[in-house]
Amino acid sequence: MSSISMRVNGEMRTATVAPETTLLRFLREQLNLTGAKLGCDVGDCGACTVIVDGMAVNACLMLADQADGRDVLTIEGLATRDQLHPLQQAFEIHAALQCGFCGPGVIMSAKALLDETPDPTVQEINDALAGNLCRCTGYTKMVAAIQDVARSRGAGTVKLPAPGNSGRA
Amino acid sequence: MTVDTKLETPVDTQTMEQAVLEPATLRLPAVTPPVPFPIETLVPDTRQQTPAVGQRATRSDGRLHGLGQTKYIDDITLPGMLYARIKRAGVASARIVRVDTSAAEAMPGVMAVLTGREIPVNSFGPSFQDQPVLADERVFHAGDGVAAVAAVTEQIAIDALEKIKVEYEPLPAVFDPVEAMKESAPKVHPPNSNIYATKVIKRGDLDRGFAESAHVFERQFRTQMVEHVPLEPHATLAEWDANGRVTLWTTLGRITLGRTDIARTLKMPVNRIRVVGTIVGGNFGGKNEITQEPVLALLSKKTGRPVKGVFSRREEFISSTTRHPFVMDYKTGVDKEGKIIARKVRLVLDGGAYCSWSETTLGKACILAPGPYNIDNVHVEAFVVYTNKTMTGAMRGFGAPQVCFAYESHMDDIAAALGIDPLEIRLRNVFDEGSISPTGQVLHSVVVRDSLLTAAERFGWREGRP
Amino acid sequence: MKAFDVVVAKDANEALALLAAHGARAKLLAGGTDLLVDLKSAAQVPDVVVDISRATDLAGIELTEHGLRIGALATHTAVMRSPLIQEYFPALVDASHTVGAVQTRNLGTLAGNLITCVPSMDGGPPLLALEAIVTLALSAGRREVPLGEFFVGPRKTVLKPDEMLLDIVIPRKNLGKPTAFLKFGLRKGQALALVNVAASAWIDPKRQVFVEPRIALGAVAPTVIRARQAEAWLEGRPATPESMAEAGRIAAGEAKPISDFRASAGYRRDLIQVLTARALAQAAAQAASKRKETSR
Repeated sequence: MSSISMRVNGEMRTATVAPETTLLRFLREQLNLTGAKLGCDVGDCGACTVIVDGMAVNACLMLADQADGRDVLTIEGLATRDQLHPLQQAFEIHAALQCGFCGPGVIMSAKALLDETPDPTVQEINDALAGNLCRCTGYTKMVAAIQDVARSRGAGTVKLPAPGNSGRA
Repeated sequence: MTVDTKLETPVDTQTMEQAVLEPATLRLPAVTPPVPFPIETLVPDTRQQTPAVGQRATRSDGRLHGLGQTKYIDDITLPGMLYARIKRAGVASARIVRVDTSAAEAMPGVMAVLTGREIPVNSFGPSFQDQPVLADERVFHAGDGVAAVAAVTEQIAIDALEKIKVEYEPLPAVFDPVEAMKESAPKVHPPNSNIYATKVIKRGDLDRGFAESAHVFERQFRTQMVEHVPLEPHATLAEWDANGRVTLWTTLGRITLGRTDIARTLKMPVNRIRVVGTIVGGNFGGKNEITQEPVLALLSKKTGRPVKGVFSRREEFISSTTRHPFVMDYKTGVDKEGKIIARKVRLVLDGGAYCSWSETTLGKACILAPGPYNIDNVHVEAFVVYTNKTMTGAMRGFGAPQVCFAYESHMDDIAAALGIDPLEIRLRNVFDEGSISPTGQVLHSVVVRDSLLTAAERFGWREGRP
Repeated sequence: MKAFDVVVAKDANEALALLAAHGARAKLLAGGTDLLVDLKSAAQVPDVVVDISRATDLAGIELTEHGLRIGALATHTAVMRSPLIQEYFPALVDASHTVGAVQTRNLGTLAGNLITCVPSMDGGPPLLALEAIVTLALSAGRREVPLGEFFVGPRKTVLKPDEMLLDIVIPRKNLGKPTAFLKFGLRKGQALALVNVAASAWIDPKRQVFVEPRIALGAVAPTVIRARQAEAWLEGRPATPESMAEAGRIAAGEAKPISDFRASAGYRRDLIQVLTARALAQAAAQAASKRKETSR
């Protein structure tokens, strides 16, 4: 068994795992962080995307052991108790998530992009989302949501509607 | 890299408490940090008239999706839960001589093994009950389940499947739908014919129509099998309780239909079955019928523990329904100006090993096969046939995309041969308000002409054309 | 995945010692984008996985007296972001950019791309066209192998079970050699190449002829290959559309493409012809723009 210690969503976590445990299974099954999804388990679909040391990676293609000593950010680490992350807010307003299964991965990919490229072109957004499959094909709305966040950075936050109510006309 | 044990998050009373904990003092399974979400704003406005028309609505589940808080089946864990996996046949057509599960049952961590013979009524299907829950006597396609295991971990269940020995006596198989229609072809479900549903649509006088045509065009079109690939694989969690009731959390789009199918296979009253339809991570028609639900229910009954089963991506491709491949023969007679006088269409749908939603697909494909065109003389005949392949069923459009590919390609062929602009030939033939469809339906709110013209203008169809 | 042990190697020496101790029962884990996929479906897994993903001496991209050295742990993202590679070998940036998607490029290494050795690898053609050399090491010693000899067949290289790849070196003489990489896949993202082509060439400024043209083709033979007949034909010929088109025709004749569910052999041959000519044209255009820069 491997003893591992990593920072997850800002908090140190220590655990003992079977060496063959992937980071995805560790997060989902041991830390109960089920936001990252198992969609294909071979690095094609991107539903398991998390950010490790600032880089978006497929959590299914990394052993938990390899994340030892690193900084891991999952979808659960974005919102605070009072506020959604601007990406979560924009995705909600744009209704960019349909079935939602790809959503956590897409938002993490988008976050990794915006952290490095605050004002990305559509081409750069497309490139950043190429590893996140969305079968409901809501890419247009996702791209619009990401652009919205990029534009409104520093310009205050968008008013949050109550869930289920109408957004902007 | 050294590990920093200090927290970088802004210090407030909540994190202060956590900060004094050294990492080593956290024992797992630890309490998950409270996932923060804005409780305050989760109360919708009440007593307020919401304007509907002309408003852009957000999705009521959108916030949970974005937070990663939506609970799909695989995100649910019950105390004592076991993991199930199904052994797939790997052969397309065979008689099952023997299934030896003893080595698997003896494995530490394996709690139960199930074979098809233990299923009370081993057949189901939304139209015909032609599909075994787990194949018992005969394998109809390579993705058929032949046995299932419930174990304390998913990996042990997978390892146990390798220990299950199945002896097969190979039987002749047929993979091409046109071949399968021949009398001499091996029967997929003997003694029944491989052709399991047909449909004919007739209008006008086809022979006279062709006789009056200036030109007659013929061509065959084929489409391939398509998998829905929902990002969330099929998943079910079953819990059989001591009162003899079973609760199933499952990725079913049609829970009521599924519930009756489950009741039938388990041979128990439908009121003893509770199906919880959770949010489904993509359906597209592929999750409209039961798959592994009865298997998990019975494994839960055998073990007295909740059992979860999630399809692998491979199983999604070989053991869930797919889109029908079509073989489409089109014959069209037109006058000198490209006005269609007569059209004959023959469709052969590859139904795969089981009917599933083939009848629905067949009907819709037939009705739409002549295309959105005014044609006085029409004959459509269609067959759906069994082959020893992954079953085909419902998928977005129920056969409409296949025939659309064919009739529109055919229109382009005709336009090219007659030297008519592809847009123009369509405008000469399309439905208008009050047109009558081949099945006799008087059509209203017909906008196909407007759509074509608007689209042509928006993407610059005329530009660069003579 | 079936059970295995993980041992972390801090550097190359530790990794080599572990490989020597465990031999064929061990596997190296660097990026993991191929290895973990294989292990998930494998009937047999290695006893020990030697995790070198944090062996700092194997990372890094630098200029040495021998040329440009790309460490075994350099990920595709690291290749894309390296100022040295951007300056000297933009074709390698293009190639790494077409591998998988962001998430896999952040994990997967260029060296791993060569070691997995699928015929459609994107890292292989530009490195082969630049005559790269790989350094392989056993605990007993090292050897240098030209990349063309490193590939043996689909998923097969000359690497011994206890041997590891330390780095990839593009020889100094090829620093800044105009090179182009082109890939044709069924989609722009997340797609394997139907055909990929890299071409490198100097252009004699006076006579405007090709000097040392090198053409490498992927996904059209059991391994990535050089189109040597096309190269020989092109040597000393003028850099004209006609000569480049002819080189494409010769290259298409040298390849042995297969028909599979992605494309037919004939379609692949057509692609080789077109992509080879285009890659040569791009390399020639790079040479011309470089000359303009230096003459200013």
